[in-house]
Amino acid sequence: MRELLELTPEQLKIAEDRLRNPAPGSRIEAAKKYGVSLDLLIEQLRLTPAQRGEKMEGASKAVEATLGIARRRR
Amino acid sequence: MSATWHGSARVTIDLDICHSRVASNLKRLVAALAPYHPRPQGFPPELPFVWDETTLRNATILTRQTDLGEIDLLAEVAGIGDWEEVKAQSIVVDAFERRISTLDLPALIAAKRAAGREKDLAAIPELESILESEKQ
Repeated sequence: MRELLELTPEQLKIAEDRLRNPAPGSRIEAAKKYGVSLDLLIEQLRLTPAQRGEKMEGASKAVEATLGIARRRR
Repeated sequence: MSATWHGSARVTIDLDICHSRVASNLKRLVAALAPYHPRPQGFPPELPFVWDETTLRNATILTRQTDLGEIDLLAEVAGIGDWEEVKAQSIVVDAFERRISTLDLPALIAAKRAAGREKDLAAIPELESILESEKQ
């Protein structure tokens, strides 16, 4: 099975260029119009897949804690 | 989590796991989750609930609240198929000291589109832009 690896510096540069300068009619342009933060996406792509998972774990715990507080206040 | 591995910034608080329906695997899955008290969403904790291979075998999609959070157990993934077909379109991620299989990005997008829920469709633009940005 293929492995999901972090982007190489060259791949990251290409991805960042495409995200900072979306081509007209591209899916990236459509995503930007939809409201996707391309800057946030660039931040994510700079991380390894493992780092993305760890970051998500922290964010999920924060959301769960907030939901817990909201439920207790109801 | 699959979207996260690929670079999505969207926060998720539930976990989707695709599993094989092979009897030995169902037994292992039941044993692995039992310590975390899986139960149907909104089920009163004082009501008895049977968590066993039969429960898993009889469902294509099962959503369970656990001590770890919400887990969706899928015997089939919309737009992809059963575990063998999901495995054929998966890649491996090294994370949390494990090797974890997850859908590759085109398959993940197809699955989200096939699932068709609002939250799935809302995730597609970001995933498509990741795919496009990484195209060789």
